[in-house]
Amino acid sequence: MLTVIISGLAIGMLYAATALVYNVMYSTSKVLSITTGHIAMLGGVFGAWFVVTLHLPWVLGLMGGMAVGAAFGWATEVLAIRRVLNRGDEHLWLLSTLALATMVQQGVALWWGTEPKPFPRLFAQDFGDGVLDQKYWLPIGIAAMMVFGLELFYRRTMYGKLFLAMSEDAFAARARGVSTDRIRVMSYMLSGALGGLAGFAAGQLTFAYFALGMTLTLNGFIALAVGGLGSNIGALIGGAALGLLNAFASYWFGGEYQQTIAVGLLMVVLLLKPEGLLGSKNVRPV
Amino acid sequence: MNNTFFVFSNKNIALALGAVLAVTLPSWVGDQYQLHLAALICVYWILIAGLNMVVGYTGQLSIGHVGLLSIGAYAFAILAGKMGWHPAAAVVAAGALGGLCGLALGLPSLRLPGFYFAMTTMAFALIVNELVLAQVDVTGGGIGLAGPVFPAPFDSPKGFYYLAAAMALVVTLLSWNIARRMWGRGLMSIRDNPVAAQTVGVPLFRVKLVVFVFSGVTAGVAGAMFASLQSYITPDTFVFELSLFFFVCIVIGGRGSILGPFLGTVILTVMPELVAPLAKLGNFFYGLLLLAVVLIVPEGIGRVFELVAERLRPRREKHEAITPDLPRLVRAIGCRR
Repeated sequence: MLTVIISGLAIGMLYAATALVYNVMYSTSKVLSITTGHIAMLGGVFGAWFVVTLHLPWVLGLMGGMAVGAAFGWATEVLAIRRVLNRGDEHLWLLSTLALATMVQQGVALWWGTEPKPFPRLFAQDFGDGVLDQKYWLPIGIAAMMVFGLELFYRRTMYGKLFLAMSEDAFAARARGVSTDRIRVMSYMLSGALGGLAGFAAGQLTFAYFALGMTLTLNGFIALAVGGLGSNIGALIGGAALGLLNAFASYWFGGEYQQTIAVGLLMVVLLLKPEGLLGSKNVRPV
Repeated sequence: MNNTFFVFSNKNIALALGAVLAVTLPSWVGDQYQLHLAALICVYWILIAGLNMVVGYTGQLSIGHVGLLSIGAYAFAILAGKMGWHPAAAVVAAGALGGLCGLALGLPSLRLPGFYFAMTTMAFALIVNELVLAQVDVTGGGIGLAGPVFPAPFDSPKGFYYLAAAMALVVTLLSWNIARRMWGRGLMSIRDNPVAAQTVGVPLFRVKLVVFVFSGVTAGVAGAMFASLQSYITPDTFVFELSLFFFVCIVIGGRGSILGPFLGTVILTVMPELVAPLAKLGNFFYGLLLLAVVLIVPEGIGRVFELVAERLRPRREKHEAITPDLPRLVRAIGCRR
């Protein structure tokens, strides 16, 4: 039973981390990018490539994974967001990020192969440690650290305050002399690095697998919508709820109805409390 | 509007040529496989014509229609194959079931804003696949089901092609009928500005729901035809990428048109067959195409043709030199002189 809870929590924290990545991008651009899950996928795949294939130490592999994530975040902003936001059509960013996500997923499938490949152990640890295994604790710890770090970043640093200013009112921020384009690029790179970190940390849980991106995009979004768009603590709660629900559902009914239950949770929350548990009402883009 | 239909404009001549080509197609294609492709285009088009109403006209980005296609296909395979219904009845039942599932999906999800809606429909496609895999004794699970063939005149590839083409024609006429009248204007107004649409009295949710159910019915019928055409269906047939394919066909064809998505369907189905490297790249190519279209010509490929045509044959600006009526001017000004 403890294993069920811990494993559910671990996968839920990966969803929560993805939801945080959504939040960082959303704060400056009001865009929910479909590439969000793919960033984490890239972190995992490139982490495994750096460590297993190139035999780098895992610290370098982690940095490499984060760098690839940041580069992909930058590419997302430049290719799929910038021109589209200037055009002002509400739906176009959905199409452009979907296109980019498809390209990345297929590109990784062609280069890396369609089989899930093993992710290296980061710390020397016995496989028989059960619930204390690093593959559970790494994503949980990383997600908690990410929430904590983001709160510090938003409250204590100048750039964090600029992010907040842009999320409150981009036009007002621009009028006050904030270079909104540059801040947006920075937020995408930051979210890319965070996504790469999350994917790397959860690599032992998910394996280095090309199709992880779409799953994470969907489940991270569910965690985000449950917890409330724009709220970091809400993302943690939503991710934990989703992960635990999935784990217990597959413990009791078998693993065949994972997606059904996840979407059921989304529907129930959206019907009862459309802005999510901790979301503010005016954030919801209706 | 009715009068323009019989005018021999370039467009109508092209349409008539296309119709002749489509009718005589079985007698000039090279082999059975090309005929199969033509039938596949017709089957895809049955779905895409309905989806076009949702994506192209109403602007609701549903990326989960493969789920409805799958439901129609399995309903047909189970009813006509396992339970021995007449295939025609099974097609009707598949269409009805597709419409019902469209209603069930649309009722909650059409209330949601853009990204929420897209994610819900995508999740729906995943759920359908999950359920198909889980219910082994009904759907055959991962092993799949055989798709039954149609009775006598339609059991040959040629007969099936004509059946699919006739159905595609009916669906096209239906969607054209929706698009050209008040409904079509209402749908486009929802796409372009929902608030403005609501203020002039378009019942947003009801219109969206009706169109979505229509697309569900066409997806169900297309699924039935698809099952019969492919002759064997497994959950692997209905991958999410197929959904993306439908979606890309509409977007590159141009939103708010019927001919554009049809050409998109034909081109995107035929192109990977003609150019072998594209087939290997598969979805990468679709993604690239979608990105290019969205960034460069969001109005669709049709717009490119218009631009090129305008470049080749610039529209003549009417030159009317305005010669001042001097004596009158003099009279008007010159009275003081």
